[in-house]
Amino acid sequence: MTSHSHDIALFFENQFGTSPRLLEGILGAASLSPTVDDADLYFEYTVREHYSLEDGIVKKAGQDVSQGVGARIVAGERTGFAFTEEFDPKALTRAVESARRIADMGDSHTPVSVSRPSRPASDLYPVSDPTLDRPVLEKITVLESLDRLARAESSKVVQVMASLASEVKTIQVVRRDGTIVADRIPLTRINISVIAQDGNNRQTGSYGWGGRTDYSGLVTADRLAHAAREAARQALVNLAARPCPSGTMNVVLGPGWPGILLHEAIGHGLEGDFNRKGTSAFSGRLGERVASPLCTIIDDGTIPGRRGSLNVDDEGTPTQRTVLIENGILKGYLQDRQNARLMGTRSTGNGRRESYAHPVMPRMTNTVMLAGESHPEEILSTLDRGIYAVNFGGGQVDITSGKFVFSMSEAYYVENGKILHPVKGATLIGNGPDVLTKVRMVGNDMALDSGVGTCGKDGQSVPVGVGLPTIRIDGITVGGTH
Amino acid sequence: MRKEIKDFDNGQDAVAHILESAKRAGATSADALYVWTEEENVTVRKGTLEKIQASQSQGLGIRVFVGQSQSSISTRDLSKSHIDALVERAVAMARQTAADPFAGLPDNLEQPTIDSADLFPEETEFPTRESLFDRARVAEDAALAFDPRVTNSEGADCARSHARIVFGNTLGFLSGYHKRSYSLSCSVIASEGDAMERDYWYVVGPLWNVTQKPESVGARSAKRAVSRLHARRIPTCSLPVLFDPETARSLIGHFTGAISGSALYRNASYLKDREGTPVMSEKMTLREDPFIPGGLGSRPFDGEGLPTKPKTIVQRGILSTYLFDSYSARKLRRHSTGNAVRSLSDGPGVGISNLIVEPGEKTPEEMMAGLTDGLLVTELIGFGVNTVTGDYSRGAFGYRIKNGQISHPVSEITLAGNLDDLYRGIVEIGSDLEIRSSINTPSLLVEGLRISGE
Repeated sequence: MTSHSHDIALFFENQFGTSPRLLEGILGAASLSPTVDDADLYFEYTVREHYSLEDGIVKKAGQDVSQGVGARIVAGERTGFAFTEEFDPKALTRAVESARRIADMGDSHTPVSVSRPSRPASDLYPVSDPTLDRPVLEKITVLESLDRLARAESSKVVQVMASLASEVKTIQVVRRDGTIVADRIPLTRINISVIAQDGNNRQTGSYGWGGRTDYSGLVTADRLAHAAREAARQALVNLAARPCPSGTMNVVLGPGWPGILLHEAIGHGLEGDFNRKGTSAFSGRLGERVASPLCTIIDDGTIPGRRGSLNVDDEGTPTQRTVLIENGILKGYLQDRQNARLMGTRSTGNGRRESYAHPVMPRMTNTVMLAGESHPEEILSTLDRGIYAVNFGGGQVDITSGKFVFSMSEAYYVENGKILHPVKGATLIGNGPDVLTKVRMVGNDMALDSGVGTCGKDGQSVPVGVGLPTIRIDGITVGGTH
Repeated sequence: MRKEIKDFDNGQDAVAHILESAKRAGATSADALYVWTEEENVTVRKGTLEKIQASQSQGLGIRVFVGQSQSSISTRDLSKSHIDALVERAVAMARQTAADPFAGLPDNLEQPTIDSADLFPEETEFPTRESLFDRARVAEDAALAFDPRVTNSEGADCARSHARIVFGNTLGFLSGYHKRSYSLSCSVIASEGDAMERDYWYVVGPLWNVTQKPESVGARSAKRAVSRLHARRIPTCSLPVLFDPETARSLIGHFTGAISGSALYRNASYLKDREGTPVMSEKMTLREDPFIPGGLGSRPFDGEGLPTKPKTIVQRGILSTYLFDSYSARKLRRHSTGNAVRSLSDGPGVGISNLIVEPGEKTPEEMMAGLTDGLLVTELIGFGVNTVTGDYSRGAFGYRIKNGQISHPVSEITLAGNLDDLYRGIVEIGSDLEIRSSINTPSLLVEGLRISGE
């Protein structure tokens, strides 16, 4: 064990005095009966800093400290959950007791033996700046240069907003069986958005990037220039956009972030909780064809440095690469411990939570369609009349009916394989269980997104990633205005 | 009751200490927000207890100025030594950010014009965990018994919360209030053959008695789910669209974003330079009322400590005023309208307290009766709204109306247009106004939207 990982493993003991002996006492005193299937304490200490620029100056900077312990007791389908923001033994005992009362169980007084904290086997995001102590001015300079670069792109750029947010989260999961897993998880995101104006026509463009790294892992002169250029370019393209056509048509999605299609159309519908309860349009469909044979889709929490990656999930289970759809056949669901147990399977390392104040749910990590064999140019050339969509905003899904939407932020009208002109943003709507059966071509250009995704479920936000090659879908509804 | 915060007996003491600490650390001015919440949430699924969440939480959001440079911090650790260290760090950070001539506390200290005791009715009946469980169970039972096609459930949820808010600044403002909230919701699934649909209903309010008819919450969720079964697409077309109060609320919500001072000074609103001109159909009048007793958005002072006040925002279609906090007001040479909103880790920004669309004469049934062909929309999904350009394109669920009556459910369609045309295309306003959220509107009938389907 290196001294650095030693520091992580002992962080809570050193900082708050929560020794293994103390935790043994708390878990032991909770007298969990044999009907309890699972119990854990989730310790979290997060420091986040953020900077924002507009009108050419960094006018806001700030730091947030968030800390607490979530206590959870699970028995069958029942969950008791409580949290405390204080780390003293009394507060911890009260949280565990509060969570325990739910199942109204008998006492057993089973002693619990708590081991020393261990680190996860993988190390997907080495942390070099755990205290966020790089000089403030360095970060301010980054945002100022983004502003300068974007304005230099065109005199039509009338406003630039840029932000940088970086956090380091230290966690420790204490399980009922006495195992403790500790990890330190960085997350950084840089964003630029511009408004370009031509007469009365105002349009926006934006670019963001990030990942599980500290700020120095993201900032190079090339990346700053690229970000500013992309944001300005997108706004200028949108100045020339014409109204988007409406109706059902063929669509080519570009590589990378358009992978939000996978996240909305199938990812949520494959989460274990919905399938255990039978409320998803995909419930009970393992082994069935749900996509064209060209489609293989995975959820992979083990890609180094990616925004959705984790060494271990928030239940201490190592993340993995889970095949969801293989050559069009539905192969697997995304599981946390409780839903896996109730469905007679194993956790896939997808038990995640926004913070100590939120309960665990099955969530995606990085959801990716593997590359196919077509050249992207070839795919576009086959489009007789339709939309080529290269960038998107957010999306949403109704997992029961399977209907999902996602909104284009940069798209083009295509005829006879030729791009004719940009079109205004519009929403695409489809049906999750059959949209992927309409995939006619899959490109060889799989790309992961640039690291900006945030997924919301039940009021909880967690960082995620997506990846997609260029694909052609025949027949999806485009919500244009003419 | 247990002691809520370490080192301090209440939020006022904590805030007063922070303001002193900030001055000692070299801040020229500062403000601080303290929020304490207690929540309990019981979920019942298929008749049995599924989840209980109980929590008590507190936090501080602090903003410090050194001249006209600022920085902010937030924390959940209320020990004096931690706060003092954070405040020092914030002052050091503020020294490095740019001086912004428009930044700062409000120009003057002003006291609220209303006693917070008049805003938030005092509850005298406090539900136990068992009563939360009972209400949720009764709601779900009613839903499951409503129709044999209600085959599954996502559960019913009954919750109570209590929040205390204290705000102070170095101008000498220090005030607080507390509010309670109770809610009951139920979400069930109807199925028949291959068709499966989910829908929900909820009630929320400042008094426990808002949950006193759990059967009707359950029955309504079930009715909504069942009536969605066998929804189908319709051909791409343009039809008059009747938004029910739930979907009309989201439509009106976009408007508040477009008239906020922060969007205006950024050149980020399609409503720039439109004050005093028509921005909606002349049938539309919008009022802001921060003083609705127990209203979800009610507040005696805003996120900067300035008094909130009732005002007319749109009068017969004409935009009467934009909304400002101190910062956006200074940038645009205006005055704050008392619309600052503040959270622990963010703000101030611009927002609304309670918004009310003045109701019209016709019931939704009468509005529907006047349509030979139209669409009733009951759910909107997605984020396809751009208030910079006004471009609007969202996924929708609803019902086809033929000859004044509901013909069949409709799904997998989008509605698209431009907000400017959409608001001016409101041809009829329903009489069905109900105050149940911070934005409150009756049904709205809109002409000119494009519907994408087959």
